Amino acid sequence: MKNPGFAVLGGTAAFEKMLPVGQLYFPSWERYEAAMRGIFERRYYTNQGPLVQQLEERLQDYLGVKHAICVTNATIGLMMAAEAMELSGKVVLPSFTFIASAQSLSWTGIEPVFCDVDPATHQIDIGKIDELLDDQVSGIMGVNLWGGACDPVALEKYAHARGLKLYFDSAHAFGCEVDNQKIARFGSIEVFSFHATKVLSATEGGCLCTNDDVLAARLRNIRSSYGAGKPVPVVKTSNGRMSEAQAAIALLSLEDFPQNQQKNESLFRIYEDRLKHIPGIRLVKPAGVTFSNYQYIVCEVDENSFGLSRESLLAVLKAENVNVRRYFYPGVHRSIGYKSSQAEHLDRLPVTDHICETCIQFPVGALVDGDAINTICELIDRCQRNAEVLRSHFVGHSK
Amino acid sequence: MNIRISAKEQVQDLSCFGDGRLFAEPKSTSSLAQPDFNRFLQYSKKFFDRQHYTNNGLLVRMLEERLAEFHGARFCVAFCSGFWGLTLAMTSLALKGKGEIILPSLTYRRMADIAAWARLKPRFCEVDPNTLAQTRQTVSECINAETALIIGVHPIVNCCDIEGIVSLGTEHGIPVLFDAVESVYESIGTGKVGSFGDAECFSMHASKLLNGFEGGYLTTNNAELAHQLALMRGYGFEGQDNCVIAGGLNAKLNEIHAAMALANLDELEQLVAENRQRYRQYQTGLRGMKGIRLLEFDEASKTSYKNIVVELLDDWPLKRDATVAILNAENILARAYYSPPLHQKKMSYPFVPSNLQVTDYLAKRFILLPCGDFVTCDDIDGITQLLKFIQAHGAEIARRLVETEVK
Repeated sequence: MKNPGFAVLGGTAAFEKMLPVGQLYFPSWERYEAAMRGIFERRYYTNQGPLVQQLEERLQDYLGVKHAICVTNATIGLMMAAEAMELSGKVVLPSFTFIASAQSLSWTGIEPVFCDVDPATHQIDIGKIDELLDDQVSGIMGVNLWGGACDPVALEKYAHARGLKLYFDSAHAFGCEVDNQKIARFGSIEVFSFHATKVLSATEGGCLCTNDDVLAARLRNIRSSYGAGKPVPVVKTSNGRMSEAQAAIALLSLEDFPQNQQKNESLFRIYEDRLKHIPGIRLVKPAGVTFSNYQYIVCEVDENSFGLSRESLLAVLKAENVNVRRYFYPGVHRSIGYKSSQAEHLDRLPVTDHICETCIQFPVGALVDGDAINTICELIDRCQRNAEVLRSHFVGHSK
Repeated sequence: MNIRISAKEQVQDLSCFGDGRLFAEPKSTSSLAQPDFNRFLQYSKKFFDRQHYTNNGLLVRMLEERLAEFHGARFCVAFCSGFWGLTLAMTSLALKGKGEIILPSLTYRRMADIAAWARLKPRFCEVDPNTLAQTRQTVSECINAETALIIGVHPIVNCCDIEGIVSLGTEHGIPVLFDAVESVYESIGTGKVGSFGDAECFSMHASKLLNGFEGGYLTTNNAELAHQLALMRGYGFEGQDNCVIAGGLNAKLNEIHAAMALANLDELEQLVAENRQRYRQYQTGLRGMKGIRLLEFDEASKTSYKNIVVELLDDWPLKRDATVAILNAENILARAYYSPPLHQKKMSYPFVPSNLQVTDYLAKRFILLPCGDFVTCDDIDGITQLLKFIQAHGAEIARRLVETEVK
């Protein structure tokens, strides 16, 4: 086959517009307008307004947790959590996570200690925490990745046995269930993200969940809450408030969650069905959950059996206007701000390093449909079948 | 119209003694400016059609461009709040290897917390009793070998000694960051607020002149600083997978907030004109009243006329806090001006202890009165008449307050 018709070889791109990987669900214009009109009528714009209160109540009900505290974004939420829990010294977390997990620790004066992950699930490898512990480690940040979970029950047992504090970056985990119950109740605090790229969107936003009344009171005071609860002493406050506009979008998004989850799942099933026939592509299935939001489609590319490197596949698909991502790349332990402090340990996370080099994220969410996914899978299949032609193209290019 | 001022004929008519409130709805000190709804929708349509809801969207970029132009600065960087904008600016500007930050004590109640997030140790400085603002002299007294950064804060009415503080910083090689949250619209002879020092920080919280629900921004003429802050508010990423600077976080402004700020920015002149009317109404109502002094705007330059601050003089019959309590009981949400001052608050992070007698004295004397979009000139008449009533019956009110407390 001389001209397999790839855009990277001069053909026409498969898609006219760039397809993003993020969720990007948003209410219809009519519902947006009505929600905003309501805010304008009430003239209540922020400071723990009626919509934020309503959202917090609904989230508490939905997630089955005593306190849901809404915030302007999940990173600031993680910073507030570390403050409220009075963490100090060092905290263990996986390196295979979004850099904000580690940045939230740096902002609270805590040194992150990076742990390796499980090659099959990509979740933190509990068996590798022991070797990282010293007397400065005060806690563990579990990260629930890819709509799966990092075995929070086992982590709770582990942390409890060693007298360590435990909390979760559950930015990816909204709506997911462990043992048929929503994730939100594990550790001292769980932090969810309501960023536009997540299954529940407030454009920017997040929430902190806890069953601990003392932590909840501290979190409300650190966020600044205007009358929500009694002020309690904290080291320092911040501004973590969610506005009425953010809450309005989140409330609508919560209404839409069942159908958005279903759409994600149906798209996931297409990927699952189509990719299983392609050598060298492994779809990472949400691990450790009885119900997933399916908000990420993550695959590993095995260069030997696929015939192309992850980087080449990325280049081919981007040229087709599929904005595939190397999420997360590089590992946080190799990112600026962390790599120098980890210099002596740089090579102690072989699984993370391997995944960072082979992982690829495909589109799922509001802006794609089954046809688009079929086209994307078709493209991946053609890449595999024409790997040699593409390889020689890339070799030529690199010269 | 919900004013019952005519009912306040006797001291027992005051709400604090059990009678009805002067206002059915609270009258606050927050601006809460509301733009035309359709204008807000028109801006919203731009992000909606692009399906781009945050992460340096079109509206954030439009807003930054408009605000840079508005302030006469080269660059503007928007944030999710003034709080995190200030924090990031402090961490970026502080001289490396030095740990102290100079700021006034008579200021925003979270200001020392902001310094603590930036890992700087606050050293509180005095203010001038006439302007309530820092001067070159009061800042100069705090400079030492450890000074990493000077924060110049514009008080709620008029500006601090901009040129004095900037020249002081230049002479000592110490960067100057202005907290200009309350001075969006102000200018001095040599230019607009927003164009001075190394950078200036602003808030777009709903209570401020420019309402963007929540939000903040920074203006600067320093290209490198602007670029650095724009990266840091987005975790330090420059393009995909490319984190180029440490110390980032998420302080991004979303597109809905930007739409609100743009719509309000379009109507800012009108808001200032209305503020001016409100201010004039207070001027008229308080003119000649004994024991109370309205802080006057310097009308020689442009000013927003937004905040209404009064000083209770020695011959005012009641204590400041009692006066605030009486007003609050009438649904007039007057507030004590920056009280307690920061150096008097308990701090669990490092700070330099200080003895600030002028600040202590001032912190007991001032009140913020209702202002902003919710307050009509009739409301203001009601407020000033009530103040007149309190002034006239001060002795009796004081007696009754004591009796009530005894009971």
